[in-house]
Amino acid sequence: MNSELFETGTEKPVVAQSMGIGSEAGCLGHSPAKIPTQIPDPTEQPANESRLFERFIDPIDGVMCLSADATAADIAAIAEPHKLRYPLILDPNASLVQQVEATGFAPASSRFGPYCDNILGMNWKRPDGRILRIGERVVKTTTGYDLFRFLLHSGNRFGRPLDYVLRLRPVCDCSQICRLQGTADDVRTAVPLLLQSSWMHWFDSIDFLSESGQSFLRIAVHCPATEWPLFEQYLSSFAAQQTLRLDILQEASPPFDGCPDLTLKTTPDRVVDLAEKLGKHGGVLCVGLCHNGVVHVYIQEGAGRVALIEALVRQTTPELHTLGGDWNSRHLRPFPLSPIEAEWTAILAKEATFQ
Amino acid sequence: MLSATDSAELDGLLKKCVIRGRVMTAPAQLAGYDADGLGYKTFRPDAVVIPADVEEMAGLLRSARQLGVPLCLRGAGTSLSGGPVAAQGGVIVHTSALRAIRNICREGLWCEVECGVTLNQLDEALKSQGVFYPPDPSSGPVCTLGGNVATNAGGAHCFRYGVTSNYVLGVEVILLDGSLHQFGGPAGGRGPWREDWKRFMIGSEGTLGAFTRFWLRVLPRPEKIWTFRATFPDLITSEKAIHDLVGHSSFPVAIELMDPRCVAMVENSPMAVGLPKESFMLLTEIEGPAALVDARVETVAQILRRAGSEDVVYSDQEEQRKKLWKARKAAGGLMGQLSADFVVQDAVIPKRALAEILQLVYDEADAAGLRVVNVFHAGDGNLHPNFLFDSRIPGELEKIEHIGKRLMQRVVDVGGTLSGEHGIGNDKAAYMPMVFDPEMIRMQLAIPAVFNPQHQLNPLKVFSERRFTR
Repeated sequence: MNSELFETGTEKPVVAQSMGIGSEAGCLGHSPAKIPTQIPDPTEQPANESRLFERFIDPIDGVMCLSADATAADIAAIAEPHKLRYPLILDPNASLVQQVEATGFAPASSRFGPYCDNILGMNWKRPDGRILRIGERVVKTTTGYDLFRFLLHSGNRFGRPLDYVLRLRPVCDCSQICRLQGTADDVRTAVPLLLQSSWMHWFDSIDFLSESGQSFLRIAVHCPATEWPLFEQYLSSFAAQQTLRLDILQEASPPFDGCPDLTLKTTPDRVVDLAEKLGKHGGVLCVGLCHNGVVHVYIQEGAGRVALIEALVRQTTPELHTLGGDWNSRHLRPFPLSPIEAEWTAILAKEATFQ
Repeated sequence: MLSATDSAELDGLLKKCVIRGRVMTAPAQLAGYDADGLGYKTFRPDAVVIPADVEEMAGLLRSARQLGVPLCLRGAGTSLSGGPVAAQGGVIVHTSALRAIRNICREGLWCEVECGVTLNQLDEALKSQGVFYPPDPSSGPVCTLGGNVATNAGGAHCFRYGVTSNYVLGVEVILLDGSLHQFGGPAGGRGPWREDWKRFMIGSEGTLGAFTRFWLRVLPRPEKIWTFRATFPDLITSEKAIHDLVGHSSFPVAIELMDPRCVAMVENSPMAVGLPKESFMLLTEIEGPAALVDARVETVAQILRRAGSEDVVYSDQEEQRKKLWKARKAAGGLMGQLSADFVVQDAVIPKRALAEILQLVYDEADAAGLRVVNVFHAGDGNLHPNFLFDSRIPGELEKIEHIGKRLMQRVVDVGGTLSGEHGIGNDKAAYMPMVFDPEMIRMQLAIPAVFNPQHQLNPLKVFSERRFTR
């Protein structure tokens, strides 16, 4: 595997065009508001223009369609006037597509699920230039095979997204970041207790951060201000029981850790071990998304970064594969296909014109 | 149907593959497999087999080419879309012998189950561990997880928790050459594969391979649940309540609506609960930590009252909550008792189109002289109009098909889709060109081209082009 891993070169985040919203929207029975479209690339050939997603926001359904190159600011400019938010943001400066390519999860996936459950559809450009609609703008579908989820994280091997349909969530008026610190053992003990608590569903994220042998828990809360005292009471009581210190960052931004250099997918009960182990390497920060079983690895930029990622992948892959987990890195090429997978991929690419 | 000679030959071949399990070919044995929950469309299989274990099932699929007839995987047969039926004849492969719960990992929040485990069987096992598996189709007491994964089943609580695909971490599947593959696992990733092939398997309606076991995500059980029932005088006030609940930070887990025709059906039956017959009935639930949900109770009640309900009842007591759900739960069974046949549609629409689509349903049914009742997952925009009819009366079936076509075309036109949680089966396969143009159909058919190119597994389902040819 080693010889197949090398840096492909990372692009700088693309700054999306500012997309203002055309008209008021969201009144009962009115059409969803349309967002002005960009001028299409003349080489792009829509297969069936009437079925492609137009850019819109529908506050009643809490969905919007916008460019895959949009950033958090673009989304907020359209969604916030309707008291809606897209919580799965890792890096406010990166485009959505860059975030999706880097990992399937963001900290708020703890509460709302992975990207593939919070992006409902997309306009997809095949390698031959044809643009097709994949997925839906409604929140449930069993209409046909799930090409959408297959393609979303396929690393653009079968084409690339042009627009995404995002599932939005209500904005609340209180955002807090809570930090639980203590001895390594106390922090470790606290994680499974939090994950098995009925409160687990109501935190935006439960993250375990580990760097240079130091670790702590970070809990993001987004709730109505009237409910914050209940959250604070629970967390204070929990911290006291676990002999942890609770620090609260009032009115904090959501945690923006950035796009990870390496993403590892394991089971929720193994996140802490994995993050601690990898966090012991110098210059490595690990953010464990505890409920999702995901470890985001951030490595200081430098000549040795790719070699270190390769080493970490080699170190972790056997166990991850045994558990049905995986790894993903924007700095490495995907590993080679087995003969059977190569055969399946070739048939799929030929039959679906993905080549 | 096969000739007597071919039938005997098939019986002989099947008995070579299935030794520890069962092979059934007597008409009385086959009759029970003629249909699924879509009872009026019947297809007699040539044989039914119950492989005893994974090894026997793999052997059966390995012999598929020699058998030369369609193979159709079937769990409990509660599907509502004509999925697990022998639409092109052949063999029904019943997975009822694979019903072990192999592992429950509370710390890892996952479980490992065989495909024939029923939803209620799993729920009972998870209860003692303090966790639950959220998808909850109303056939829960009998439906199998194999069928749930095959149709990407949903249920009333999917508004908050999502459907089956949100909970499948891994799938073990036997392909047509008899090879056994694991896509994903407890960690829910791709495993050693470069692509995430399990995505194609979930919701594939038995057309790609035979499921044997799954790794499923589970969640901690909520500490407390509050159920609210409210009646509304009209659709406008009901819609306001739905929209206000959907956008509210109390995050209900379920938002269900019954229309006055359905309410009247329940109230005219022995299952009556005392609802005003002309009303829309809305059910909603909040759940979570006791302190948090208790603090939300009055807010939710106020949302319902402000929207226009003068009759809001709510409780956190198990028995009372069951009573509040009674009318909703009774509706499904009553339709089967009141009508010789019924067909339930499963369209998902943008919620702003609810009034228009409901009116279309009423207009079409009234014009055709057919009864229709609506009981559905309003939070998701997932409609379930139930058309009651009698397929023995000449012309009624044609009327149903005509209405279905017009309804689905309008659903697609307003931005919706054909099915939210029942699957396509053979019931809606003819409507697929409304959603997919020829280029997209080609892309969709590329998936069975990888795993089941001759369409020997469950032919004529999902896409009507999928016909088995030897």
